[in-house]
Amino acid sequence: MSKRKRPDSNVPSQSMTDQEKILYNLIQSKQGLGIWSRDMKRETNLPDNVVDKSLKSLLGKGLIKDVVNVQFKGRKHYLASEFEPSPEITGGKWYDDQGRLDSEFINFLKDQCLKHIRNLKIATVDMVADAIQRSRVLKRDYSSQEIGEIVRALVLDDHVIEMRSNGVGEFASIPTGRMCYKCSRSLDAAKEPRVGAMASIPCGVCPRIAHCTPGGIISPTTCEYYTKWLDF
Amino acid sequence: MVSPPSQYGIKYAVHIVSSHFGDLVAKVCECLLRRGALTHQNIVRFTEMSASQVKNCLLVLIQQNCVQAFSVEHPGGVGDASRRSTEYMALFDNIIHRMRLPKFVAVVSQELDKECVELFQGLLQHGRLTLEKMIDRAKSGREDCTAQDATRETLFKLVNARFVEHCPDPEPHLSPPSEEGAPARKRTKSSKVAAEPETLEERVLAAAAPMEAKRFLIMFDTATEEDGQKMGDSFLGVGEKRKSDALESDKELGSEGDRVLWRVNVQEFMHRFRHKACVENVRERLDGGAAVALSAMLETSRSMEKKVKTDISVPLSINTIYEEVMKGEAGRAMTLDHLRASLVMLGCERGADESYKIDLKNIIEQAQNEEVESVVLKKYGQNAYRIFRLLSKANRLLETDKISDTAFVDKKETPKILFRLWKDQFLHMEKVVVTGPRQTQFLLWKVNKSTLWPHVLDEMYHAALNLNLRVAYELEKENELLNLPIEKRSGPLEKRYNRIRTVRLLLESSLMKLDDAIMLFHNF
Repeated sequence: MSKRKRPDSNVPSQSMTDQEKILYNLIQSKQGLGIWSRDMKRETNLPDNVVDKSLKSLLGKGLIKDVVNVQFKGRKHYLASEFEPSPEITGGKWYDDQGRLDSEFINFLKDQCLKHIRNLKIATVDMVADAIQRSRVLKRDYSSQEIGEIVRALVLDDHVIEMRSNGVGEFASIPTGRMCYKCSRSLDAAKEPRVGAMASIPCGVCPRIAHCTPGGIISPTTCEYYTKWLDF
Repeated sequence: MVSPPSQYGIKYAVHIVSSHFGDLVAKVCECLLRRGALTHQNIVRFTEMSASQVKNCLLVLIQQNCVQAFSVEHPGGVGDASRRSTEYMALFDNIIHRMRLPKFVAVVSQELDKECVELFQGLLQHGRLTLEKMIDRAKSGREDCTAQDATRETLFKLVNARFVEHCPDPEPHLSPPSEEGAPARKRTKSSKVAAEPETLEERVLAAAAPMEAKRFLIMFDTATEEDGQKMGDSFLGVGEKRKSDALESDKELGSEGDRVLWRVNVQEFMHRFRHKACVENVRERLDGGAAVALSAMLETSRSMEKKVKTDISVPLSINTIYEEVMKGEAGRAMTLDHLRASLVMLGCERGADESYKIDLKNIIEQAQNEEVESVVLKKYGQNAYRIFRLLSKANRLLETDKISDTAFVDKKETPKILFRLWKDQFLHMEKVVVTGPRQTQFLLWKVNKSTLWPHVLDEMYHAALNLNLRVAYELEKENELLNLPIEKRSGPLEKRYNRIRTVRLLLESSLMKLDDAIMLFHNF
């Protein structure tokens, strides 16, 4: 069970009913993960109204708190007050209080990373994190690990390419074997991003392609997407 | 292993045959594509056409290199003697190649003179020709003697560049298949049995292929003395591998030389297109220097490549590469150090004596990835693009939450995107149920290229067929306008005329680009 030290000040266990005690111990044992009220009802076999009443009372005493689960917005999770909700519940550090991914901030951070990678031409995650810290544009410091997550997302966007340093040429300043990053060519302002052969014709991105047959109800000769495409 | 053509692959091929040779030929061709190799009798039975019709259709298809005949021995039952039968097999690849004939011509006209292009086009039109026939063609409107010499000279150039080769054996004999089952059924079976070492098509093509030494061998009936000398020189040039003592016997055979059937050597073009695709991908992804370096490596090693799908290039010394680099305009400004840096950037593997080789398969795979990713981006958006790239790079099963975290896609949003991609066959999904105090279900996802790539290719054939049908439809619609004399095309007609021209250009250029992508997934 819980290895956590019990905060001594505000747990007047005497003032709890037996049911409240059972529920409180259960909630506490779940630590930062907390527990959903329906699971509590199942695990304790207490009647619904008792659980609801006891939870209300525990909340009132400030012994527990409720948090929104990022996965299931309708399911409130209960945690003992001394725990911070775990990333499984909140979604992690990139989520806001409402359990939503903080896209605006992430995009800002992406831009910052990109800017520094572009300046550095080629950089390791540590170098990017360091550059960002020195630029003092962020309210708090971000660890190399956090910056690494952002940079790797930029790789997935194909804005940045990942390569291992071999210590020569453009990698001269980076120890051999270290992973490093540079801006992708697709980001060059002068160049149009390359669109694949399929992506540049209606059929390649057609949601109804599986239903399209020559002479059928959906057919290349009657296709609306084509008509739009060929409207000169 | 060559996988059997997909549903839309067949439809596309049949459409091509139908528009080039008519519906009857297409019917025979479709029958062979769908059922595999068949005897003449069986084709008659399945198509319900007359025996002579089928025969004529087969002759057209063989002439155009779209069908290969072969003979098989069927072991007789108890007391029965074994019997031989001739079967016919449609060559799917060669049918699809018909759409890229203009690309072949473009390569030839870039490298050789006008006469070569003319002869080459003649070969494309007729499928296969003897020198005799080529000379006959050239004779129209010219003096006999010059036509003869000139044609020989031209053919020599084409063969020397490996654009043209000997035709395969018209009917190779195939030793009876070791297992049960007629070869005709084997082909369809092979789609399911992955362990099948070689398809029937591969066995027949291997049996029919001329010996490598004979493939580009020119044996002319040397009529006049002057060019007898000249051709004697070309003998040595073309049949590189032959010893000079073999020369005498060939001269005796000389009169046969004019009757050898020649055809376009598709393989050479595939080598070149594959190399071009690699170079263009590198230019796009890395830079011009890397493209110049790779291009030089491939140009030097092309003649050494044994097959189109070569995984890793032969090792070349830095000096050999540099020598080739210097030949090009773009390479002249390149220093040796710059070349070294480019080779490193390409990810070349460096050997002991500063030789370099490169993983071509890897470049092709990257190009394939980019093509599919580009569809995902356009069809499903940036978040899906990130998720797809994550899974494609990881090349293993990842759990929904992990995907959401790494790709920075909201946890509510991620499963929706994953399901959409899964529904459209872009992803493979596995459910894992963990039984504990509470049953928890995890969903794991993966990009399974072994099933996705054939699916993508099938959609490409579908799209290519659609582009073809739409071009035909648009041209048909404006048929009258297109036939109008130029002075009558004014005002709104002029506008409509310009529109149809633009439409045609867009559709046809899209088709050529799509054809490059088809080659990327099918031939490279």
